[in-house]
Amino acid sequence: MDAIVTKGLTKVYDKKIKAVDHVDMDIPSGSIFGLLGPNGAGKTTIIKVLTGLSDITEGDAWIAGFNVRKEPMRVKARVGWVAAEVILDDDLSAWENLWLQARLQRLGDWKDRAGQLLEFFELNDRRKDKVAGFSTGMRKKLEIALALLHQPEVIFMDEPTIGLDANVRRMLWDLITGVNRQFGVTVLLTTHYIEEADRLCDRVSIIDQGKFVASGTPSELKNRVHEDFVEIETSESVTAEKLSAIPGVSNVKSQGKAWVLRVPSAEETLPHIFQALRTDGIRRINVEKPSLESVFLDITGKHLDQAGADVQDFRKFYMNVRRARR
Amino acid sequence: MSTAPPSMLKEAPAHLSKGHDGITGQWSQFWGLYSREFIKTFRNPWVIAMTLIQPFMWLAFFGGMFSAVPDTEIDLFLHLPPGTGYLAFLLPGVLATGMMSIGMFGAMSTIQDKRFGFMKRILITPTSKATVYLAKALGSATRGLVQIPVMLTAALAFGVHFQGSVIGWAAWVIGLICLGIGFSAMFLALTASSTDWQTPGVIANFITMPLMFASGAMFPTSIYPWWMKDIADMNPVGYSAGLSRDVLTYGQFTGSDVAALGYLGLFAIVMIIAGTALASRYLKVE
Repeated sequence: MDAIVTKGLTKVYDKKIKAVDHVDMDIPSGSIFGLLGPNGAGKTTIIKVLTGLSDITEGDAWIAGFNVRKEPMRVKARVGWVAAEVILDDDLSAWENLWLQARLQRLGDWKDRAGQLLEFFELNDRRKDKVAGFSTGMRKKLEIALALLHQPEVIFMDEPTIGLDANVRRMLWDLITGVNRQFGVTVLLTTHYIEEADRLCDRVSIIDQGKFVASGTPSELKNRVHEDFVEIETSESVTAEKLSAIPGVSNVKSQGKAWVLRVPSAEETLPHIFQALRTDGIRRINVEKPSLESVFLDITGKHLDQAGADVQDFRKFYMNVRRARR
Repeated sequence: MSTAPPSMLKEAPAHLSKGHDGITGQWSQFWGLYSREFIKTFRNPWVIAMTLIQPFMWLAFFGGMFSAVPDTEIDLFLHLPPGTGYLAFLLPGVLATGMMSIGMFGAMSTIQDKRFGFMKRILITPTSKATVYLAKALGSATRGLVQIPVMLTAALAFGVHFQGSVIGWAAWVIGLICLGIGFSAMFLALTASSTDWQTPGVIANFITMPLMFASGAMFPTSIYPWWMKDIADMNPVGYSAGLSRDVLTYGQFTGSDVAALGYLGLFAIVMIIAGTALASRYLKVE
């Protein structure tokens, strides 16, 4: 059974900005699905249209069997949402936030489950405290508890670990896998962290400029790239021909001031590179073994952290940092 | 019913059958959002302090302008019945203009929810924009009513004596509620598509000033030029101030006061219907 299905899903803003471009998805129930892409790739927009926050321009989508366009309220009763920015009402206590969520989800019998969730997320002793005084990790836990209160079939997690330190990020990774296993809920998470997608997701789609450019399990995607990448930046003037002539180099791509060389084995090819080039002229050299990052690099010619950063995403990031500090 | 892909099931999860459907469900959502407005407002000590202090400031500063002038001369100058005094005349007007401005705070709270993303949290649940709008409009109108007992206490402290029957007082309170609902609904509808902090203030300044002065709230309309009298004839603030003054100050409740109450009720109903329609279409998520 599929929890999320889209056919040709497209979202155009202001009749000219195509944020999502004919996306097809079939996400099995109970799985963790990752949307991996740079800032501005269209990940958040996909969540907005699937949850009914934004209208679909073209195509169609179903969540838990319900059409997003035609039955938005039925869809909303079956989805949970964890925002990148941690959105809670700081003036209310943890319990009051749960109470409000229960009201909005029209739940009649919610207190037992709310208590169990607070126990599960180790927040029970702080249930009466205003959430303004909670740490970032506690706020994230409460946000996930809110998303689970009405027993949704699908949870959307929009860059759930953006701006968090390594410890909180690891704690959240454990929580996300725990929630998926213990509550049997389908998770669609967006991220631009390679390690996160690799570690958490059963399946991943790589998205760039609103389009899915590759999909599969992390292993399948990594197997697409059998070779290593050597990224090199030199002070001496070199040509593609010169680099292609180095033994072992199968492909050469120019990327800004750097060159990206595709080689069967970086360990075997590096000595040849150092022979062919003046070693004192090498400013930077970086070896990329097969990974989701190298898949993205191979397909788009860009690194994930280079592609598509825009002002809005920086604003989102800094807003998150400010809230985390508070 | 839409066509679902064949591999997807559409059985309702067991827990959903325990929830509220239809009107009960909408009431549940409305009550949650309406209560939140209240909790947020009165958990802030500054809001409580300002709510208590502001009526005293109004009466002290505005009423104090004429304190050196004997009541008899004020009554003569403003064409008031002998023995009225300016404070007793002013109080009903201040209450009416106060209800007008509370709508601005409802609009600001909506914009705050949009800016901090909370509107997304609300609308990602099966809550309609109309329910959000009604909860905000009625929440801010109710918040405005809190000033009534505070203002009456302040007026008593300043030596004002009240009159009127139980029916008259009930009509006066209902009129104020209608005025508050009408203006809250109007402000919220005007700012439904905005996310800018400045918008409610700019709109409030634009609307409040002319409606406050062209209402008879501060001074009797008998001393107005003709064009201000024409505005006052349509201005709901003026109807509320007139009704309040008749009941509280002059101790009467006449046929014209019943008509004023009807006008205020109509104002509230029209604004709520028009505002709900506008908000359902234009209420922005962020």
